[in-house]
Amino acid sequence: MANDRELLREIWDGKLPICFQLAQEEIMEIQQPDPFYVMVPRLSYFPLVTDKMKRHFLRYISQENSDSEMWLDYNGQPLKWHYPIGFLYDLFCGNEPQLPWILTVHFTKFPEDILLRCSNKDVVEAHFISTVKEADVLKHRGQVMSTMQKKDHNQLRLMESHGENEGFKHIPVRIYSDDGTCHQSLVNPKNCTDGSRKTVQHMITELYPDKTSVKLRTHGITIPSDTPLQWLSEHLSYPDNFLHLCLC
Amino acid sequence: MDSNLSLEEFLAAAKEFVEISNILCDGWKLIENECLLKSYVQKECFIKPSKEDSLPMKAEYVMFYSLSYGVPQFSFNVWNSLGVLLTIKELRRVLFIKEPPQSDENLYSVITQQEHPIFFRPYFIVHPCRTGELLACFKGSSTNILVTFLGMIEDVIKLNLPMEYGKPSGIRKTSS
Repeated sequence: MANDRELLREIWDGKLPICFQLAQEEIMEIQQPDPFYVMVPRLSYFPLVTDKMKRHFLRYISQENSDSEMWLDYNGQPLKWHYPIGFLYDLFCGNEPQLPWILTVHFTKFPEDILLRCSNKDVVEAHFISTVKEADVLKHRGQVMSTMQKKDHNQLRLMESHGENEGFKHIPVRIYSDDGTCHQSLVNPKNCTDGSRKTVQHMITELYPDKTSVKLRTHGITIPSDTPLQWLSEHLSYPDNFLHLCLC
Repeated sequence: MDSNLSLEEFLAAAKEFVEISNILCDGWKLIENECLLKSYVQKECFIKPSKEDSLPMKAEYVMFYSLSYGVPQFSFNVWNSLGVLLTIKELRRVLFIKEPPQSDENLYSVITQQEHPIFFRPYFIVHPCRTGELLACFKGSSTNILVTFLGMIEDVIKLNLPMEYGKPSGIRKTSS
């Protein structure tokens, strides 16, 4: 069971200051729009926190584009809204922090070969639930989600391990390189040789046998390599129940 | 719900499936990767989804293996004649996706656009959470698990899978 309440609180309350700027080629007014500053939860998703920002910029763009899908970029790289905001920041700015995080807002030229469409918030929910389901399959062979009603899913928060000392079957974890590729494999929380707790270092050696000094980052911190994976999964997973780790 | 299908079983079924496809000239290819998880079965073709659409559209189907669920997964994209990717609403309009589901909410629970785990680009992916239990019913009796799997997908998406896939291999060879 997750029991480090203070730490969970830190993770769940984590916020990032963001400065949104409208892309120059979108501006159709003589007057330049002010940038839009906002504090957003690290655990949230951009489509859930950008309504106000969007309204702020709408009057500066060409009216024919006002219904088209808004998207964001950082330094020319489109931001994938289906990842948590804090994870995106760690991926792009982990090595060189930039606060506030300056992002560019677009209403045209939606990069459909890179970004998923997000016409409304139901799409975000559907994506979130399907990730939670996958995590549940990895952790408990899908026993939790299949016994829950759709209405309960809306109330769903971080799922904890079943039983007192029983760990997860597999740890839901995705490891991302800065080129945007992701590595997902079946990671057992225990070492198969002696049943001892597997640490981050064990996982790194298993997944990257050729590489030395691999470091992983999440929630803005570099993870100590002796951290047990089961503990990490219970405390540092995102609300979708996955550990989203960045290679650094 | 234990692993229904191992990666090795998936790849063996994929090889066999592509052999049948070659006999039927159905266009499925096996794209192998040295990382076995990134191997997949793919078909590219032109479709004419409805009578109103005079121009053909390009479709790409990809079957791959889901490590988390231990089942095959089906993904696809459709482009119009201008090369623009169809949205899920447009796919429904051209009747590429069969009715029901009646509401959008139901549809999202079956098909969602996701980042493809092999290509890291947007694809429509049929959700695998029911695949395991359904395939388990056929595991003993199915001659090829991917044929059975595509038969299930046919229920949602128009694939026009030739009936010959279901025939025992002896009959198929003599008729072709």
